[in-house]
Amino acid sequence: MGALTAFFKSLFLKELFQGLAVTGRHLFVRKITVQFPEEKTPQSNRFRGLHALRRYPNGEERCIACKLCEAVCPAMAITIESAEREDATRRTTRYDIDLIKCIYCGFCEEACPVDAIVMTRIFEYHGEKPGDLYYTKQMLLAVGDKNEVQIAKDRAQDAPYR
Amino acid sequence: MLDIEIDGKALQVVEGSTIIDAAHQLGTYIPHFCYHKKLSIAANCRMCLVQVEKAPKPMPACATPVTNGMKVQTHSEQAVKAQKGVMEFLLINHPLDCPICDQGGECLLQDLAVGYGASASRYQEEKRVVMNKNLGPLVATDMTRCINCTRCVRFTQEIAGLMELGQAYRGEHAEIMSFIGQTVDSELSGNIIDLCPVGALTSKPFRFSARTWELARRKSVSPHDGLGSPLIVQTKHDKVMRVLPLENEEINECWLSDKDRFSYEALNSPERLTRPMLKHGGQWIEVEWQQALDYVAHAFKDIAKNHGAAALGALLSPHATLEELHLGQKLMRGLGSGNVDFRLRQSDFSQDGQGTPWLGMKIAEIGSLDRVLVVGSFLRKDHPLIAQRLRQAVKRGAQVSLVHSADDDQLLKAHAKAIVLPSQLPQLLAQVVKCAAELKGVSVDAAITALAVSEKAKAIAESLLSGTRAAIFLGNFAQQHEQAATLQALAQLLAKITGANFGFLGEAANSVGGYVANALPGADGLNAGQMLAEPRHGYLILNAEVELDSARPLQALAALKQAATVVLLSPFKLPGALDYADVLLPVSPFSETSGSFINTEGRVQSFNAVVRPLGETRPAWKVLRVLGNLLNLPGFDQDSSEQVRAEVLGAATPTPEFVTDRLANPLSDVANNVANNVAIKLDAGPNGLERVADVAIYSADVLVRRAPSLQKTRDAASPAARMNAVTLQQCGVSAGQELRVRQGEGQAQLFAVLDAGLPDGAVRIAAAHPKVAGLAAMHGAITVEAL
Repeated sequence: MGALTAFFKSLFLKELFQGLAVTGRHLFVRKITVQFPEEKTPQSNRFRGLHALRRYPNGEERCIACKLCEAVCPAMAITIESAEREDATRRTTRYDIDLIKCIYCGFCEEACPVDAIVMTRIFEYHGEKPGDLYYTKQMLLAVGDKNEVQIAKDRAQDAPYR
Repeated sequence: MLDIEIDGKALQVVEGSTIIDAAHQLGTYIPHFCYHKKLSIAANCRMCLVQVEKAPKPMPACATPVTNGMKVQTHSEQAVKAQKGVMEFLLINHPLDCPICDQGGECLLQDLAVGYGASASRYQEEKRVVMNKNLGPLVATDMTRCINCTRCVRFTQEIAGLMELGQAYRGEHAEIMSFIGQTVDSELSGNIIDLCPVGALTSKPFRFSARTWELARRKSVSPHDGLGSPLIVQTKHDKVMRVLPLENEEINECWLSDKDRFSYEALNSPERLTRPMLKHGGQWIEVEWQQALDYVAHAFKDIAKNHGAAALGALLSPHATLEELHLGQKLMRGLGSGNVDFRLRQSDFSQDGQGTPWLGMKIAEIGSLDRVLVVGSFLRKDHPLIAQRLRQAVKRGAQVSLVHSADDDQLLKAHAKAIVLPSQLPQLLAQVVKCAAELKGVSVDAAITALAVSEKAKAIAESLLSGTRAAIFLGNFAQQHEQAATLQALAQLLAKITGANFGFLGEAANSVGGYVANALPGADGLNAGQMLAEPRHGYLILNAEVELDSARPLQALAALKQAATVVLLSPFKLPGALDYADVLLPVSPFSETSGSFINTEGRVQSFNAVVRPLGETRPAWKVLRVLGNLLNLPGFDQDSSEQVRAEVLGAATPTPEFVTDRLANPLSDVANNVANNVAIKLDAGPNGLERVADVAIYSADVLVRRAPSLQKTRDAASPAARMNAVTLQQCGVSAGQELRVRQGEGQAQLFAVLDAGLPDGAVRIAAAHPKVAGLAAMHGAITVEAL
């Protein structure tokens, strides 16, 4: 019996037509492909893209060099050096993220006690030569300065769930 | 013995111990902050509350003595509730600033808050804020974090010997502070950083530079004083970040002197020499190792050929490792010259061949002595941790007597003190010998019997004879004394009469090692003093700043300046050497090389490099080995420092822990020594003013001179001409006045300072400082005139 059924199934190409039916159905379904870069998909306010270092509204950098992000980073992508600044506060003298090592897990943001290191919605960035994706403190601060409005808005939206 | 039960486990403990002692014996941890095994019991943090059967309330484990049949619950519901309650109170005023606190990651409060703290605070009111205090250049404060455990207060009082910190005000307002306007100047002050269970007291040089979890912990040995404290050197990215004590009950207990703790700053100093340099037509040029070593080999061969091998001399350092000293002397002897020495500050060498200056006993046994005589030692500054042991011995009832030329406060209650001019030290010691001999009924040399005996000498002799375990120690000042041999002979005689142990407090980390490695002139060689007094054509200098480290700086400088070739192996670009040296070879400091030090009790301590050599720097033993190869000398084929050590000590593995069987302070020849030394030299009397020179604690060696934080302390103050009131008047000057001090052909300009602790006629001027490098010698006549 089994052998006979299998013979007729293959003779009349049943599975092929089943597959074509799926294709045919989808011809009339609403398309989800977006035309990047003209079109973009919506992003969560928890999107984990390019990192940024934030500042307080008065311009003071938030990072206090506690090094928790460096400690928690599973890819060891973060390098921090710290020292006492002239005003006797604890500050970083170096804050580098190697984006090639980074796995975008977001632990650094989780660990930060002062919301200094954050992950932005930016994902369209690239490097043209080796080292372009090694972000230094100044580059990270620049990202933060440029996108502060969006970053602050995202944090405020997510605040009730933290 | 008492039978008790802790958490259902029965054990026996000695009478008088506390619950926390018993728990530790069992391996049970009881949370605590104020309790410390080396300090008195304060019981003020209340963290160690435990439940004791039949006691109505929880009891503090650190302050409750055990009684027979006691049943203790350390983790019962009542105990944990009490501990959690205490933790909540402690956290009320403690700021939640762990992210910016240097103690973060190594904080007792942080750790215990995980176990006993609540996840949120119920406290709504304002937190207490305490102003920070200035405790000096070594200890940073964040007093708001203080939980008032008073460990630091008890440390300064009980271990350091002077209560420099205290608790002022009461209750909520209680705070730890130093005396108004005063800093903490103890030479052991760094230990309060380790003791502080929270981040209230942290290290100033280390401040905010790294986290504990980033640092690699490596073992090493301190290269400074004769104690050879074991260290934990913490490194990050091949840079030494800080130094902590490695606990060893037999050496440093759990303490570390500031010198050992903060001298690491010099290792990262901009003065480090990183490439070999040659002086070419008066200009210094950086060259390759090969070129520099070839130059040295040629220069030494030329001198040996043209002027004879005896025209070469090696000045080594007592801070160099055993391996370096061995290869250094081997190189010189291979070239045919016996001129090798490492005792640069010594001026009397007539006791050579009479044994090795070592402690004569174990360091740990110092605490069990009951009668001690210390001759010629700036005890606290030269041997901070040995002074600490003597301080504890005095507290237990020992009598410590001091014979010296300066009455510095040693922060211990001295039984008898005799402070005389340096030239009268031998006489004074002879008086003690006479007294002891009379009391014992022993006959001594006629020159000694003829002396009149002072009351102080009598008191010292009586004290020495009245105990059961006595010891006589010669300090650095006695070893550097112009009549060191006489002092040694007399002290040995006194030790023989009184049955005391005789020993030396070793000046440097490898003072004993130098003798074991035979880095000494043989019968045909010149010692350090002679090498500089009778200038040589070529000098090999290892790790020493000869113009500061020498007993006669002026003579040393002149000898080096006239020499045709001076080769300096040093980790630093020494400013003086830039003038007189011809070749600078960058060699590793202790942190970048493997090697061994033999401390003053004869303990061999080997260590490995903790970081990679900086730049082109190479370990000195390798440099000397290659130099040996280039000079075609036999026996320079070692591949590791262990092989070099095995050559010196005989056994490759395991490391012999002690070499005491090779050291001896023979008391058998004492009679001859005395006859030879004493009779001739006892009469040397004073003529006018005499210099008393101490080697200030933070200018004692090449490393500490370059440690910026130590140089900011009060102990590193610029040298002054210190005199007592009588001497000041006699010279017609007043305190604070600028003086011109002349000694030999040299002179220096210094300020006069009143120092009541000096004998009449003594002018105390610290040595080993660039400001006084113009003075001729560490001893002898000196003149003073107002400017």
